[in-house]
Amino acid sequence: MWSYAFRRLLQSAMIVLIIVVSVFIVMRLSAGDPARLRAPVFARPDVIEQYRRDFGLDRSLFEQLGSFLGGLLRGDFGTSFRFQAPVTDLIMEALPRTLLLAGCSLAISLSVAVVLGSLAAMRPRSIWSWLSGALAAFGQSAPVFWTGAVMVIVFAVILGWLPPGGYNGASSLVLPAIAISLSILPTQLRVLRAAMESTLQEEYIATARAFGINQWRITFVYALKNAILPLLTVVGVDVGYLLGGVIVAEVVFAFPGIGELALTALKSRDYPLIQGITIVTASAFVVVNLLIDMIYFWVDPRIRQEHS
Amino acid sequence: MSGASSLQPASGALRSRHPGLAGNLPLWSGGVLLAAIALASLFAPLLSPYGPNDIDLRAVRLPPSADHWLGTDAVGRDLGTRVLYGGRTSLIVAGVGMIGSLTVGSFMGMLGALGSRPVRWAVERAIDIQLAFPYVLLGVAITSVIKPSVPVLILLMVLAAWAGAARIVRAIAMQERGKDYVKAAGVLGASKVRIALRHIFPSVVPSLIVLAAMQMAAMIVFEATLSFLGMGVQPPTPSWGGIMLDGKNYMTSSWWLTVLPGLAIVLTSLSLILIGDGLERRRNSARAGESEE
Repeated sequence: MWSYAFRRLLQSAMIVLIIVVSVFIVMRLSAGDPARLRAPVFARPDVIEQYRRDFGLDRSLFEQLGSFLGGLLRGDFGTSFRFQAPVTDLIMEALPRTLLLAGCSLAISLSVAVVLGSLAAMRPRSIWSWLSGALAAFGQSAPVFWTGAVMVIVFAVILGWLPPGGYNGASSLVLPAIAISLSILPTQLRVLRAAMESTLQEEYIATARAFGINQWRITFVYALKNAILPLLTVVGVDVGYLLGGVIVAEVVFAFPGIGELALTALKSRDYPLIQGITIVTASAFVVVNLLIDMIYFWVDPRIRQEHS
Repeated sequence: MSGASSLQPASGALRSRHPGLAGNLPLWSGGVLLAAIALASLFAPLLSPYGPNDIDLRAVRLPPSADHWLGTDAVGRDLGTRVLYGGRTSLIVAGVGMIGSLTVGSFMGMLGALGSRPVRWAVERAIDIQLAFPYVLLGVAITSVIKPSVPVLILLMVLAAWAGAARIVRAIAMQERGKDYVKAAGVLGASKVRIALRHIFPSVVPSLIVLAAMQMAAMIVFEATLSFLGMGVQPPTPSWGGIMLDGKNYMTSSWWLTVLPGLAIVLTSLSLILIGDGLERRRNSARAGESEE
């Protein structure tokens, strides 16, 4: 198992490196001069040139890449052009909030998927089955920013129950988390339902039924253990999608997280900050997928045997 | 949500009959809805007395009324008219994006299943990398190099969506590759390209058709998201996401500017999902029929 884990870890590091270097190159090819954007509007050319030197943009692309990668090895992500603060500090301030939001969204969508998906598989012609189909179709067709906007109008403007945006404790998490979870729910719901339907056909379930075990216990304990495996894979793929949803939701709800930081950084062509954010998000995706593979390994004895 | 009830599995009696259009409620209800939306945006000039960019500063941010069915926006343009014309942009962009991503996706998927070992490895890694890259950041990175425009938007959509299609095509092609008839073709001396195109690709097509409807639905949402973030269709050309971006600042005071254009997005992608669902059901029953023979 450890050699497998090590191989996967190396592969993941390669993926992150490729993404980071391509972002580095793409950003420098891009239109828009960070020095000009940072300097006062009517600044003299020599002032702008001074900014360019301060940012290290007068050096060759190779030198810039070298010092950037060298800094990375020392855990130094550089200094933000716009905020004139270490990128690490800026990210560390925003990241916990984003992770909290992403975690809450994932928790909501996973619990709904498990409960509703199992109920729908257990009772194919019930209201649960209808509800799970409707919710999946709705979540797939409604963009995050639309559900977000509708919820702000209903719950913040008309009813005044929850804040319309910003970050002020737990109540600010409710609306964005629901909007995001709705967008990642459809795949999770479909996958769990399909897995549960086929698991319930298995012989060991029939045996359990013959023993007269409570049907709720059969579904939510015996069958769920197997039916939840495909859901794990989906969560791995969803992390990238989840991050996209989080970025959009942060814009709609003016939520001060990584997504908002990323858009600000992009508008001011803040290269170090953009690179830092890309590294963090890409690593998050890769690490989560690695973890899921490991969980698979640990949960499912069949996979463990294949690799040993 | 009248359409959602049709998402239930068809009753046994309907399913066992020949899989025609009549018994397939999702397929035809989705089809009718999509046709209605497409026709409405195609014949927008006949349906609306206003132009999509007619500014009327005496009628700023009016709520829905008899004169302006969906209200007016911040510079007095008729929202309903803009939504109709916006449908043209959104549907064309999503359609072309879907075709592009399926083309690239099938090509890469086939390569990933049938190519030589290093090619297969490279395709797998490319899919991994693509899936690890948050598409919104990809969008921003690209639109900072090239000015946002419709072709750039389509390129972006293809870049963001090809990997999903490639994964599915690859999985099917890998399955098919191991079958006897494919091996037989190889033994008979058929070239790799011939095997891929004549023998394996036909078994990918049914899934590709279902995928086309689902991808198109995703593309509608995706176009809207990118335009909403300012990376898509540029003003004053109306597109559904762009119209919502215009209304974003008035979200709390003029609800119709965000809620109503979004409804067009939801209905369109819902119709496509219904079509995809119906197509999948038809494919499954056709497959069940095959195995009975």
